[in-house]
Amino acid sequence: MTKRGWTTGSAYALPVYLFLAIAVVYPLAKVLARGVSPEALSVFSDRYLWERLLWSLEYGLAASSLVILLGVPLAYSLRYRFPGREAFLAVAGVPFVMPTIVVATGFLTLLGPRGIVGRDLTGTVFVLLWAAVFYNLGLATRILHGLLARQGEALEAAARTLGASPLRAFFRVTLPLLKSGLWASGGLTFVYTFASFGVPLLLGGYRYATLEVEVYRLLAYELDFPRASALVVWQSAVLALVSLAYLRAQSKLAPSLGEPPVRTLSPRAAWLLGALVWGGTLVLYSPLLALIARSFFGPEGLGLDNYLRLLRPQSSYFSPGLIEATGNTLRFGLASLALALPVGLLYALGVARKSPGLDLFGFFPLLVSPVSLGIGYLLAYPHLRASTWILVLAYATLAYPLLGRTLIPALRGLKPEFLEAAATLGAGAWRRFWRVELPLIRPALAGGMALALASAIGEFGATMILVRPEWATLTVAIYDRLGKPGMANFGEALALSVILMGLSLFLFALVGREGKLG
Amino acid sequence: MWKKLATILLLVFGLAYAQELRVLTHNSFALSKSLIQAFEQESGIKLRFIKGGDAGETLNKAILTKDAPIADVLYGVDNTFLSRALEEDLFIAYASPQVRTLRSELILDPKLRVIPVDYGYVTINYDKEALQGNALPKTLEDLTKPEWAARLVVENPATSSPGLAFLLTTVANFGDPGYLDFWAKLRDGGVKVAKGWSEAYFSDFTRYGGDRPLVVSYTTSPAAEVYFSEGKYQTPPTGNLNVPKAAFFQVEFVGILKGTKNLKAAQKFVDWLLSKKVQEDIPLNMWVYPARRDAALPPVFKYAKIPAHPAKLDPGTIREKRSRWIREWTKVVLQGLSPKEARTQP
Repeated sequence: MTKRGWTTGSAYALPVYLFLAIAVVYPLAKVLARGVSPEALSVFSDRYLWERLLWSLEYGLAASSLVILLGVPLAYSLRYRFPGREAFLAVAGVPFVMPTIVVATGFLTLLGPRGIVGRDLTGTVFVLLWAAVFYNLGLATRILHGLLARQGEALEAAARTLGASPLRAFFRVTLPLLKSGLWASGGLTFVYTFASFGVPLLLGGYRYATLEVEVYRLLAYELDFPRASALVVWQSAVLALVSLAYLRAQSKLAPSLGEPPVRTLSPRAAWLLGALVWGGTLVLYSPLLALIARSFFGPEGLGLDNYLRLLRPQSSYFSPGLIEATGNTLRFGLASLALALPVGLLYALGVARKSPGLDLFGFFPLLVSPVSLGIGYLLAYPHLRASTWILVLAYATLAYPLLGRTLIPALRGLKPEFLEAAATLGAGAWRRFWRVELPLIRPALAGGMALALASAIGEFGATMILVRPEWATLTVAIYDRLGKPGMANFGEALALSVILMGLSLFLFALVGREGKLG
Repeated sequence: MWKKLATILLLVFGLAYAQELRVLTHNSFALSKSLIQAFEQESGIKLRFIKGGDAGETLNKAILTKDAPIADVLYGVDNTFLSRALEEDLFIAYASPQVRTLRSELILDPKLRVIPVDYGYVTINYDKEALQGNALPKTLEDLTKPEWAARLVVENPATSSPGLAFLLTTVANFGDPGYLDFWAKLRDGGVKVAKGWSEAYFSDFTRYGGDRPLVVSYTTSPAAEVYFSEGKYQTPPTGNLNVPKAAFFQVEFVGILKGTKNLKAAQKFVDWLLSKKVQEDIPLNMWVYPARRDAALPPVFKYAKIPAHPAKLDPGTIREKRSRWIREWTKVVLQGLSPKEARTQP
């Protein structure tokens, strides 16, 4: 059995390794090969860089602790039916796709020197942590929610029957069961926060620059390959260590089959819970609300002018209009998803079938600095550099690990008896997958696809690839407007951001509903 | 019969895909759709624009792919990166017939490996409303006073071309190593550093909700504020700080990249870029001045003042010292070292 498991696992793993070789390893090797030089070692004696590393670690740790602290009660609440529960799941994913400068504008509108709150909180760690929670809580809650296992509920019920108070049952039964889930969501938050650089810089200034800022500067501007390569390796190594802990934790997760059943509360309790969750959500996401409000203020005053101007034909060849940009966002998002889906699925199947090492290697794209990958593509595939292929490849590379990681616990939770029974009844491997496994993992698949789509329509890959005006997505259109002075440009950028928000909300709701059909 | 059909097919597709010309530009490049379409129809050359980030990043991308060029033409090298670009031997010289129509002071490469397309000035802008009733700084030194330093946002010269231009302004004014003392005082006074122009202007500048009424931007920004106000402003809500030698002169060039297989088409494109109608289209799209002497400016440019005494630095000196200046600047402003430490530490 183990032997067979190994071989089938590797059969799934092979295409994933091939994809990784093309999309990550070869381009990265091209960058590192240019950096082999004794000069590279000088980064390790640079005190400033150590300070940056230390801060990146602190920021990552603080953010992931906070996210866990808030994510657990949220995921716990999602076990119950309350008004607006489905809407909450859709809303929770939205920040993930928002461009950093737009999010920063939201925070400034609320907490800036002339903000609505009336107290300038920019430049404080408080705002930075808020922003990190803002970006990652939705992701973490989705993971934790997907992992609250049936067994957990049964054990909890048993504990209650044996006379444990609800509180005691939570602390002694649910929490220990959730432990690996905590590691998983915390680990992912850490990876994203550690490698983020837009938000800390915009809201905190250079005092809060992370290590990634230095990689960007050395590589994109100085072409200092030795020092940049050393930093890339250093950063990836730290992230790989953290991820190992995260992946180990996830492999021990209490498996859940499909979506845990939603419990019904008394109407009063349900309303109370709904009010609590939504109250918290509104506070956390208030910068987005501030942004929406501000998008209605144009040079002409209060109204829809910022939006209406987007519908005018653009005279410049380089300022994409609304229809064009939305179309491109959808087109590239779906194309990337089409590529990320098979790769992510194979990754998950390979890991679930215990292909050795695939767990960490498949996670690799999230551990590598995107800037270095972007330069790597340029060096490795100069002829493809301005083609749609490389764009879709880059987006899919960053999207498939999220999809895979969401699927893995679901696949692990599948009872082998089902597959064996199907095999006994004469179903081939493909048929078994199509008729037995796929229907069972469908909710997880829907969740994973939502995350993958989010990462593809957000700006994750935007800095990596060369942009062609006819491909301009909503994110590119936003940055185009923010490249020129003037209230009209600023207003249009805000309106485009709100539209991007609406579009992602729509897609999440769609995928979420799709998942529930299963 | 078949031959005829083949010829017709070749003609049809030949015309549609006669030639594709790839133009690598920085992110701020923009022209009117109608002009680009007219060029494609008249010449049969399909234009493919590729955006490579800001001026510095874009040039670096051309350098990295020198052996397998990703484009035929590069637009957007400016005088701060000129020597670097020429040293890398990226370009084929082209004596365009249009060159004689250009302002001669902009031609910084006599061999015409790069040809000037436009020029502009980086300078400090201020928010009129926020500074109402204040006496404005009169010299660059005034900026180091705490009441002004704490009101100024600059872009990081390591990651932004206006940021680099302003750093060079200070070198032109205070010399090397004097510029570091100026920056140490600015740092102590509380100057803010943003990653790039968009962040400085739309996040930190008081006009858009920030707390800094002084921002490093372009001399044309006040005119753009009027133009992009949908009629709200008849006079600019912002102004250029009237300080001698506080504006940095920037020229942007176009060059044909070595290794192109479309030399004729590339030359045609360069001629077109320097033609009167394209040159007159540049100001409202990119907010810079056309290089051509006879190109008329749009009316709104009356709000953009050309500085009388801009700061200038020799491209060769910039090439030689740019990296070191940025490194020392980073040590002093971002890492908090003293100018002396910044100079002596490796």
